[in-house]
Amino acid sequence: MAKSNNLIPISEAAKYLGVSVMTLRRWDTSGKLPGLKSPGGHRYYHRDTLERYNAELFRLAQTWAASEIAPDIPVADYSDTQDRFRARLDTMANLMDRNPETTGSAPLVTAIAGEIGNNSFDHNLGNWPDIPGLFFGYDLNKRVIVLADRGVGIRATLLRVRPNLKNDTEALTVAMTEFVSGRTPEQRGNGLKFVRTVAIDNPIGIALQSGVAIATIDKEDPKTLKVSLADRNIRGVLARIEF
Amino acid sequence: MKIELKKFGDVLTSRPAGREAFAAIRPTLDPTVSEVQVDFSGVLSLSPSWADEFFRGLDGLYGNRVVFLPSDNPSVKATIAILHAQ
Repeated sequence: MAKSNNLIPISEAAKYLGVSVMTLRRWDTSGKLPGLKSPGGHRYYHRDTLERYNAELFRLAQTWAASEIAPDIPVADYSDTQDRFRARLDTMANLMDRNPETTGSAPLVTAIAGEIGNNSFDHNLGNWPDIPGLFFGYDLNKRVIVLADRGVGIRATLLRVRPNLKNDTEALTVAMTEFVSGRTPEQRGNGLKFVRTVAIDNPIGIALQSGVAIATIDKEDPKTLKVSLADRNIRGVLARIEF
Repeated sequence: MKIELKKFGDVLTSRPAGREAFAAIRPTLDPTVSEVQVDFSGVLSLSPSWADEFFRGLDGLYGNRVVFLPSDNPSVKATIAILHAQ
């Protein structure tokens, strides 16, 4: 394999990411950060793969959700369809389940990531303002999952059944605490209540923003829901799950 | 009669997948049986969206003849709890 400017040997990649060569080998084997192998068995990494890994997931998702014109995001973090999201969620769940450090968190964390991500598709189907789909990225080493969409947001969805909602804060509070569906008469509307209940009852932190409102439940005590104003507006929904 | 949910996958979270699962099993269901047991063993993660679609179908056929077998999986417990609270 010819070494190009974009291909970096494992020793340099380890220095770049601040981890050991052994850790990178383990990540390659587990699929967490796949490398390329030369015919002689040496591992190399694409420079952009390393840069993407090192980028702060949340900032990437926030920029994607907030920008007037959507910037490019890594293909690995973008699910254009619900089927693709489903496949990636399955992969994440099984990676968590196989790792002794995360296996205990896998059932609930997967369930709440599934509810948030599937909501993006269920509530924006046929109605995406510009870019369809979902940012779905995770770093199981840092125990963080980030999801974002450029959909219509929670207030616009709920206004179909609650026309008197005054603002994003009220809409987000209703979504997190009441059984109400933006797709009435279908029996829906328990997804974000489930997210709230699970986060409050377990060592899971949630920050879920829609418009200028943000709902937070800390990972540690006190396990209460707070809904407040965010410092910037986003287009659809942006969520961070910490476990 | 027992329904093993693991036959539909180990991560059961989306509404479309819940609908597909019920549509797939519907032709095999006998509406005259006295009890239908739902077995969660082998399921890694269950969420209310999938469960709502699948169990609403079962409820329409069997009503209170549906029995959930015990499960230690926390996502199964939390999902059943919120469906009952609704």
